[in-house]
Amino acid sequence: MAYPLQLGLQDATSPLMEELIQFHDHTLMIALLLSTMVFYTILTTVTTKLTNKNMLDSQGIETIWTIAPALILILIAMPSLRVLYMMDEVNNPHLTVKTIGHQWYWSYEYTDYKNLEFDSYMIPTQDLIPGQFRLLETDHRMVVPTDSPVRMLITADDVIHSWAVPTLGEKMDAIPGRLNQTTFVVSHPGVFYGQCSEICGANHSFMPISVEAIPLIHFEDWSTSMLAKI
Amino acid sequence: MGNGPIRKRNHAAVQWQGKKRSARKRRGFKLLGILDVQNTPCAREALLHGAGGSAVAGLLHFLVTSRVKRSFDVGFAGFMLTTLGSWFYCRLKNAKLRVQQRMVQEGIKNKILYEGTPLDPTNKPRPSGPS
Repeated sequence: MAYPLQLGLQDATSPLMEELIQFHDHTLMIALLLSTMVFYTILTTVTTKLTNKNMLDSQGIETIWTIAPALILILIAMPSLRVLYMMDEVNNPHLTVKTIGHQWYWSYEYTDYKNLEFDSYMIPTQDLIPGQFRLLETDHRMVVPTDSPVRMLITADDVIHSWAVPTLGEKMDAIPGRLNQTTFVVSHPGVFYGQCSEICGANHSFMPISVEAIPLIHFEDWSTSMLAKI
Repeated sequence: MGNGPIRKRNHAAVQWQGKKRSARKRRGFKLLGILDVQNTPCAREALLHGAGGSAVAGLLHFLVTSRVKRSFDVGFAGFMLTTLGSWFYCRLKNAKLRVQQRMVQEGIKNKILYEGTPLDPTNKPRPSGPS
């Protein structure tokens, strides 16, 4: 999960996020090398003693610095488009979860078999027990099975919200009157946090998302116990 | 017997130093504050190869031409090319490995799921008997 003064991405918990991190590292290395080259070029230009007031053009260097950037952009674009289309694949989800954004909480609906619905409110700071995370914990977590493709249908009830969980590589706007779809697979069990990512009013920062991934057998126990409570 | 407590203290001190060292290692080294060299796959190897290639290229050019500034330029170009080459080669190798890993995982999952059924991927087709 996130830690203070973090600059980079969180560790991946889904195959899609692993691909996104790979692409990020690839692009970052290219950007770093280009920046180093530009810095070196500026340094040599500023410190050189050579001056030529008659140089007007040079076809060779112009050709090089037209074609080289085009090649670099192709080198970046190819993996970018690959990951972009990979993000849109829907690969036979085992479970569909509907999430609705409200001011200022999320509600989740598991309607595949029986109607399981619950709201997920942030736990206020004064009610946290030691070890819980401030502004991230919720009273009811969205529980999903591990290693199973899950389809999320996301919408909102009032204003635009955004359902985001960085470690899963998920961010999708929750727009009233529109149903957005995304899928993910959680690779290993754990609790993963996110926060609303579209300004939605006074308590926009206080409607977090927490996803708990557990093995399928325990997921079945959980859904049975939740249905019994309701 | 007189050394017992001192030995214990030293052991604890060594353990504490080990923990501090491993904590430092886990934090990683960020090149220019951006690229986490230790935790990004292939980054460390690419930069080390780049440094080596740069040194070799620059030194060779200087030995041949005795021109200092141009040797620095050649060294820098060597750094860029070697880093890029090493980076892409390593990433391509890792990507192929990841694809193979996923195929193996899928195969293991299928074997477990379909074992004993007609869809078992390890079932060999039986040769047809005499007519």
